[in-house]
Amino acid sequence: MSARPPPARPHTAIHASTYNSRADWAEDDAWDSASDNEDDAPKASSSRVPPRQVPLRPKISSSSSTLAFSYTHVSAPNPSSYPPRDIPPKNGWTIVKTGPPVDTPIDDDPERGGDADADADVEGDMILGDLEPDAMETMDIIPPLHSKPKTDQGIVRDDVDAIVDDPLAAVKHRARRTEPEPRRPSPPASPESAERSEKLMRERSIRTNRRHKFVECLSSQDVNIAELRKLAWAGIPADLRPMAWQLLLQGYLPLPTPLRTSTLARKRGEYLSLVELAFARDREGLDQQIWHQIEIDVPRTRPGVRLWMHGATQRALERILYVWAIRHPASGYVQGINDLVTPFFQVFLSAYIDSDPEAFDPGTLPARALDAVEADSFWCLSRLLDGIQDNYIFAQPGIQRSVRRMAELVARIDAPLSAHLDTQNVEFMQFAFRWMNCLLMREISVRNTIRMWDTYLAEGPDAFSQFHLYVCSAFLVKWSDKLRQMDFQGIIMFLQSLPTQDWGDHEIEMLLSEAFVLNSIWHNAQSHFSAK
Amino acid sequence: MTEGSNYDYLFKVVLIGDSVLSRFTRNEFNLESKSTIGVEFATRSIDVDGKTVKAQIWDTAGQERYRAITSAYYRGAVGALLVYDIAKHATYVNVTRWLKELRDHADSNIVIMLVGNKSDLKHLRAVPTDEAKSFSTENGLSFIETSALDASNVEGAFQTILTDIYRIVSSKSLEQSNNPIDAPGPSISVGPSVDNNAAQGSKCC
Repeated sequence: MSARPPPARPHTAIHASTYNSRADWAEDDAWDSASDNEDDAPKASSSRVPPRQVPLRPKISSSSSTLAFSYTHVSAPNPSSYPPRDIPPKNGWTIVKTGPPVDTPIDDDPERGGDADADADVEGDMILGDLEPDAMETMDIIPPLHSKPKTDQGIVRDDVDAIVDDPLAAVKHRARRTEPEPRRPSPPASPESAERSEKLMRERSIRTNRRHKFVECLSSQDVNIAELRKLAWAGIPADLRPMAWQLLLQGYLPLPTPLRTSTLARKRGEYLSLVELAFARDREGLDQQIWHQIEIDVPRTRPGVRLWMHGATQRALERILYVWAIRHPASGYVQGINDLVTPFFQVFLSAYIDSDPEAFDPGTLPARALDAVEADSFWCLSRLLDGIQDNYIFAQPGIQRSVRRMAELVARIDAPLSAHLDTQNVEFMQFAFRWMNCLLMREISVRNTIRMWDTYLAEGPDAFSQFHLYVCSAFLVKWSDKLRQMDFQGIIMFLQSLPTQDWGDHEIEMLLSEAFVLNSIWHNAQSHFSAK
Repeated sequence: MTEGSNYDYLFKVVLIGDSVLSRFTRNEFNLESKSTIGVEFATRSIDVDGKTVKAQIWDTAGQERYRAITSAYYRGAVGALLVYDIAKHATYVNVTRWLKELRDHADSNIVIMLVGNKSDLKHLRAVPTDEAKSFSTENGLSFIETSALDASNVEGAFQTILTDIYRIVSSKSLEQSNNPIDAPGPSISVGPSVDNNAAQGSKCC
């Protein structure tokens, strides 16, 4: 099956007509009308640090994760800097890292290579051991434009205001900026790296090409969503992602350019009112059970990652989760939803800064931009969750169904594995529950997740329940050889902390294309599943 | 796997309640570790009387929404660690509800240990030791207080419950083999934790 090349075009493009942004708006408005509040006053619970000037002092000696991250992209990651997340107790089985060293460039940013190389000298600075592996996988870093004044807080772009109003500003700005920049990495040190750098150059030119198409698509007066989906399936360049995601999420960002500024302003205002309403009374006025759960989970969201340890980020996350929870009483807040906010928040934040979002201090971002990141994250999370709500309602029927169907599918595509799991008394529920509940975010890094969501969003609103099922099946079958050598305990422990720490885009894209193949074969063959 | 087959007794134990012990089962002792989703699996082995006692521990998520999923794991468990936070009275109040869950879904002769855990150095005690102790006696539970911040202490809780279970199971199998004389220490068995038909059903797998 793997012989088939990755899909050239997403088959879902034909659904484009169903994404009528206006219709979606109408629906949203109906939903929110009860809480409509024209008042745009600052939210009651806002505890933001006023924007302050970003110090641009160059940072010299102390280690910067940003620098170290950049380095890992040009060279195979040093395994020692990727400790497994949960070092399992000694159980007699060993984690074997199968993935080849990530020698393919792991992002689409044409700016990356040169900068990364320039930063190679900080290798010795990598002090990453006590961070979770996710923390080591940086988001796509947009290197600063001119010289590189690195600060502790990160670098805020100077056109923040324009981007808040219209995300296209960021795209246009960057497109202009990147074109006349054929900057190359410094001369290779060895023949091997020469070869690699040649490969990089080839890939870069392909990416540049794709990038042009993207920019063209995003800049058009009325974005052709089918075209955007087709492009996005294969991955979105990091700097175009914030805008592309907002368009793909059922037109959170309206497709026609003229509507955007006003729509965004309205949605963000609406969110502010929702927050204000939800937190109108003081703490005692909150739904205690929901609030309690959110309060304990927020500090445990991406522990060890700088961005998520900042008060400003945590308060924003609390508001997003709480407002969503009280607006969806059938599910309320369910643990794991907190994880699902993080890709949105980081991606949307990345639009406003020129440094690694995960190392960024959101307190340094102008409040207006941070509010926009929060509101956009809220609405986009809502749209994502709309498609998988029955994962989180009583008895979690959505997950139960997905896990059952996954077991049936695996029985068909990998009978020996299925039989082995059976003889070892391993139930799919024992490991796949979490795969569904957190959309694999506990299994792969946030960086991997973000790449994966490019494709999910391109697939359409069902992807997070339907396509995801195929991704999970392909993901399990990937470890088939190993699993078939293990006993019950080995299998469960292995599946609980999979060796995906050094996964890059390549591994994710392989997984997505395998899932695509499975989806094409099985999705319209429902009667093959023993319908229960 | 090699170690997997190297034991004399294998017990299934569930971890329920305000389950901050998850970081113990995950070997994580940093203050903030990710929440448990559904269930997580861990193992521990201890030696009692020269026997290797191995536990398969299912750490269940605390949130109500996961009940439907997690209660399935109670079946076949010979032990349960019911955890509350001594600094948060609400978690102690919940213990009654958890007990009911166990009575409803778990085997009737399951050994239950109430674990008063201090998850956080900042907060003061809200549940007096005596109160929890007498509650345990009334309900036939063993009782221990631990600090999840202190690995050895939590390890101690596991040691204690596994030893308890071992005593009960081994004394039971001795009873069944009608040879009570050689019992290595049946008198130590934490008696009242089995509140009914204690004689039947050796659950060691």
